Amino acid sequence: MRFRTQLKDSRTFSKLTASLSSLGKVCWMRLEYEVVRFTIIPDQGTQVWASIPVSTIFDETTYELESNSDAINIEVNISVLNRALRSSWGSTHTQLRLTKKDRTPLLALTVLSSEWTDGNMALATNNDQNGVNNRPNSATGDTTGERGPRERQTCITQEVPIKILHEAAVEGLHEPHCPDPEVHIILPNLAQLKSISDRFTKLASTDTKSRQPGVMALDAPGMHSASFNGSGASTAATTLSTNTSPKLELSANMHGSLRLAIATDELRIASVWSDLVNPPLDPEQMSQEQISQLPSEQNRMREAREGDESGWAKVRIDGKDWSRVLSIGRLSPKVVACFINEMALVLYVYLPSTQDGAESCLTYYINSFTT
Amino acid sequence: MTSLSLSLSPPALVQLHDALICLSKFSETVSIEAEPDLLRLSALNSTKTGFASFAFEKEVYFQSYSFEAGGDGRGVSMDRFFCQIYIKASVALLSIFRGRIDRNKDTAVERCDMELHEDLQQTECRLTVKMICGLGVIKSYKLTYEPAAVQHAVFDKSKATSMWAADPRFLKQVVEHFSPSAEQLDMYSDSGKAVFTSFTTKITEGKEVLKHPVHTSVAADKRDFQEYWVEENMHVAINLKDFKAVVAHAETANATVTARYTRPCKPLQLAYSFEGITAEFTVMTRGQADGEDVPTSSRATIPRQTPAPVATSVARPRPSATVSMEMLPPPPPRSRSIRPLNGSSTQENLSQRASTNQPLASGLSMEFDALFVPADDDREWDEMNEEEEPQDILGWDASGTQDAFGASIRDAEPTLARQDASRSDEQDDEMGLPPTQRLSQVRRYGLFD
Repeated sequence: MRFRTQLKDSRTFSKLTASLSSLGKVCWMRLEYEVVRFTIIPDQGTQVWASIPVSTIFDETTYELESNSDAINIEVNISVLNRALRSSWGSTHTQLRLTKKDRTPLLALTVLSSEWTDGNMALATNNDQNGVNNRPNSATGDTTGERGPRERQTCITQEVPIKILHEAAVEGLHEPHCPDPEVHIILPNLAQLKSISDRFTKLASTDTKSRQPGVMALDAPGMHSASFNGSGASTAATTLSTNTSPKLELSANMHGSLRLAIATDELRIASVWSDLVNPPLDPEQMSQEQISQLPSEQNRMREAREGDESGWAKVRIDGKDWSRVLSIGRLSPKVVACFINEMALVLYVYLPSTQDGAESCLTYYINSFTT
Repeated sequence: MTSLSLSLSPPALVQLHDALICLSKFSETVSIEAEPDLLRLSALNSTKTGFASFAFEKEVYFQSYSFEAGGDGRGVSMDRFFCQIYIKASVALLSIFRGRIDRNKDTAVERCDMELHEDLQQTECRLTVKMICGLGVIKSYKLTYEPAAVQHAVFDKSKATSMWAADPRFLKQVVEHFSPSAEQLDMYSDSGKAVFTSFTTKITEGKEVLKHPVHTSVAADKRDFQEYWVEENMHVAINLKDFKAVVAHAETANATVTARYTRPCKPLQLAYSFEGITAEFTVMTRGQADGEDVPTSSRATIPRQTPAPVATSVARPRPSATVSMEMLPPPPPRSRSIRPLNGSSTQENLSQRASTNQPLASGLSMEFDALFVPADDDREWDEMNEEEEPQDILGWDASGTQDAFGASIRDAEPTLARQDASRSDEQDDEMGLPPTQRLSQVRRYGLFD
């Protein structure tokens, strides 16, 4: 078993691991000849299956992989790996390899970082002001001599402990099967979507808090709406934690509309995007006839009417979990959301493709909550 | 009656705040020590493995400073005053004002006055802090202090055999690579590279592989240091949190950090000074317990001059009176066997000396140490090792007087000042001289009989 490669794009790799780590700690990383797969299946919440072509993050010419099963399966704490990758920012040479130390398998990251430094960092401020500093600036001829501007090279190694998984251990793991979606739509700018989602989540949680028994009980019912005028509401409320974090309603149709809403007993807020793209399906994967039978294409045919709820597919998702999912936005991907009404939301996240056209895709499976 | 009053300019107030933040990373209480020409703030951590001290010079740092010592009522005249304050209270107090210093607001702080009057007739212990703000606003605060004996870490710079000096920004870059959960920092020099490695001593269960700490090492060019005189391959480890605290503060002060140390399991000092403030951090190091058995030192090649068959053949008893710091691993097994002839008597001498604090005697012994036992681990020099025992641990000079180790410290300073002239020669001195005289020859002078 052997794995060794130079990192080509440590920024992307680092951003990718950062986004993944928000969903769960333990990540199954599967190294293959052409792709690297990252899978996170948390106990609760969204699971993600990512397939990244080797060339997206690694340098193909140095990519070495040897395994009896044509793949290496490892389990790694993805946030730890992410932290380690931070050392590689701005480095010229970063190598990642599989190794062993005291019987513990490791992913060893070796970073050769070089940066320009102006002189030997002589600090003008402190030496001349008082005599306490006893190191003269004029010292010459010692071994640490060189004072001019030069390239500074630092070698950093980060050894991340991992677990090797046998092929048998991962055989039973498959991506979830979902019915055909009713609606598929390209999501708007994720930064915008995220900030609005977060705002809604916050509003909804303020609401849940303020409705804690005993806190607002003496208030007249009319007072509740007033509490949304400012953030002052949260100070009046206790911070009793509720296990049910607020749920967002996300719905879309095949006519380019997406709606994000929260609904509580007291208020209902919605944001609507229109003129979004409902991408066509790949005709290579199925015949035209088959495609036309799909619920989504039938919805596309349906005439859009103002205020008509037919043709919309809706899911209820956990606000905080959704916020974690949207953290993938830092890679500025294109996201196609597939709505399976009242059941699930599947996101296909395509990273900006590299020169050779290899496509990275992350698939998020988000369950819909019932009311 | 003891009275202390001082005034701080707004920039000095910021520096005081920064210093207190740094001290708060060591302890919950800060010790305040007033002397006629300086004010010292220090903190000692709970495991007594780390000591941080900031000395503020009267002339440079303060707008005005006056300290009048009074007798303590027991017939002892005091030339200094000690007390301690709960650090969070003072940090909180200064934080309020820190943000208001730079702004051109009418109510910005213009000056800070502090006053303290210790009167034995009064039971109240209060430090009065007055913030003189714009528009004639004066805000007064009273902080409670308690009288306390101040302990100082003892560190003899002249005996340090390894030292490096580096820019705090460079050190920060190094530190940033370490995982936040890493606990210890190991430093060593390896073929032209200065290597910093983080590790965690926490025992993790074998099954939870993924929870094992990340092992990070950063190898930097020696040229990245302003000075680097470190024994090759000698591993010295300190608490990473302490190191981070020092680096963080040094960076705000933009002052070059100098580290001095000798061997593992002996104290290490990080020091820097700027704008009338001298910061010194003395921390205990750990290292391989068998470090002394490995002939890493170049000085280990010095032929052993005093035959000491007893020392090598007798089973080495581990010193049972171990270092008083719980955090530390057991000290390295030393070959210091208890000798039937003079073992007990040296011990007596030692305790006697410590109790009487004779400046002459301790100064002399120190000098002697420096001259004759530069290789402070050379196990042939048994008596010297006994002498050295107090140096092995991070000792505490609780007497409050500088006499105990003052002699040696004062000796060191002119040496360093002269470095301009003959840098390389001095360096040799600092690194220690090889023995010039056999111990047996010295012994007859009665010092070590």
